[in-house]
Amino acid sequence: MDTNRLTSALPNSPLLLAPTQSTAWREEEASHSMRSLAYFVGTFVVALMLGIGSAWYMIERGSTLTTTKVGPWNGWISEGNPSADPYTRAHVARSGRLPLTSTVARYFVARTDNAGRSLRSDCEYLIEGFPLNARWWSLAVYDEYGGLIANSSQRYSFNSEEAIRRADGSFRINLSRNARPENWLPSGTDPNRSLMLVLRVYGSRDTDISGIGQIPNDRLPKIERIRCE
Amino acid sequence: MRVSLPGLYIALGVVLAGLIHVVAVLTLPMLAPRDAHARLAALGPANTMIQLPAAAPGQQVMPMMAPDVRYAVCRYDLSNGPVRLRAEIADELWLVAFYTPLGENYYAVIGADMKQPVIDLIIATKDQTVAEVGVDAPEAFDNVVVVSSPVVEGIALIRAPLAGPSRGAEAERALKATYCGPHKSSSPDPSGP
Repeated sequence: MDTNRLTSALPNSPLLLAPTQSTAWREEEASHSMRSLAYFVGTFVVALMLGIGSAWYMIERGSTLTTTKVGPWNGWISEGNPSADPYTRAHVARSGRLPLTSTVARYFVARTDNAGRSLRSDCEYLIEGFPLNARWWSLAVYDEYGGLIANSSQRYSFNSEEAIRRADGSFRINLSRNARPENWLPSGTDPNRSLMLVLRVYGSRDTDISGIGQIPNDRLPKIERIRCE
Repeated sequence: MRVSLPGLYIALGVVLAGLIHVVAVLTLPMLAPRDAHARLAALGPANTMIQLPAAAPGQQVMPMMAPDVRYAVCRYDLSNGPVRLRAEIADELWLVAFYTPLGENYYAVIGADMKQPVIDLIIATKDQTVAEVGVDAPEAFDNVVVVSSPVVEGIALIRAPLAGPSRGAEAERALKATYCGPHKSSSPDPSGP
């Protein structure tokens, strides 16, 4: 069917081998085996890219098998769990972190706002949080590599003991480069930074049958973009 | 027989891609050079409690460390026998978590679940016996928990989440008082009779 297209996409290496090896065979036979070899090498290269690429994606970003996605928040379901699937295990080993198992703590990572736009340091965000039924929680901001962002007030997070809350337990955190009232989470001076928010919830009081802490979907903070520079 | 069907190559490609995918996923945890165990091994020797510096910009032992949690770590090595871990729980928020070098959290002690504010643990592999401790120090053994480690080399990590602003120094002082070291089951207790 599309043999021609396949042939043209093959690497040139078989041609380099041809003069030395073809002497032993008749021209025609040699060209056939060369073509087979080229097909094989081409198939192998494509398979290598597909195999490594899909593995990288499912380890780095996760899939519906390994993560839960609620709005902008992503969480690895069995992170840190000894009986976790191979993707989760590889993800944890690659990250260099030591996450607590999901029966002790839950982690949620957001790289976008609620509208799906990437979090950037040249924009200002309002994070609207709701009471979480847990022993302790903390919302921290990082650069895209998981590093804390330097700022003059040395504020890198707000936790359940620090955030100024309203009477109903809800709270608002302003994520911006310039100082803001209420809870101000600074995103540093560099305007060209991608941001990552991490919500860690220790000792969730609502658990499922296997003891994994449950956070109702509507309790995860909403991230709203206010303005960009 | 000469193989010339493109379909056969596509099928071969898919099977190969699947195999490579599986091999990559399974070997990656072993090949990750900057995993947590390697990062902690650079800080100091095994079987001692090491306080991690408070996470700050450009000063993080591990990525995504919580800025409002103080950490102390004991990288244990059980090849010369069990290891003892003692900690006075300064706050019910404290968590002591045990990991394999691949970052599997195989056991955790939750401060709020403790009946008394002291954690006293012996980490041992399944083959190592710590029963004779009970004979040597029967009065103390009741409160000692034996943690059965699935690995000879692992990590014990104490987390002290800060219960409020400017509680960092307090947490660091409490973490300094924690202990991790070889558990000598046969040698008599020098403080005993």
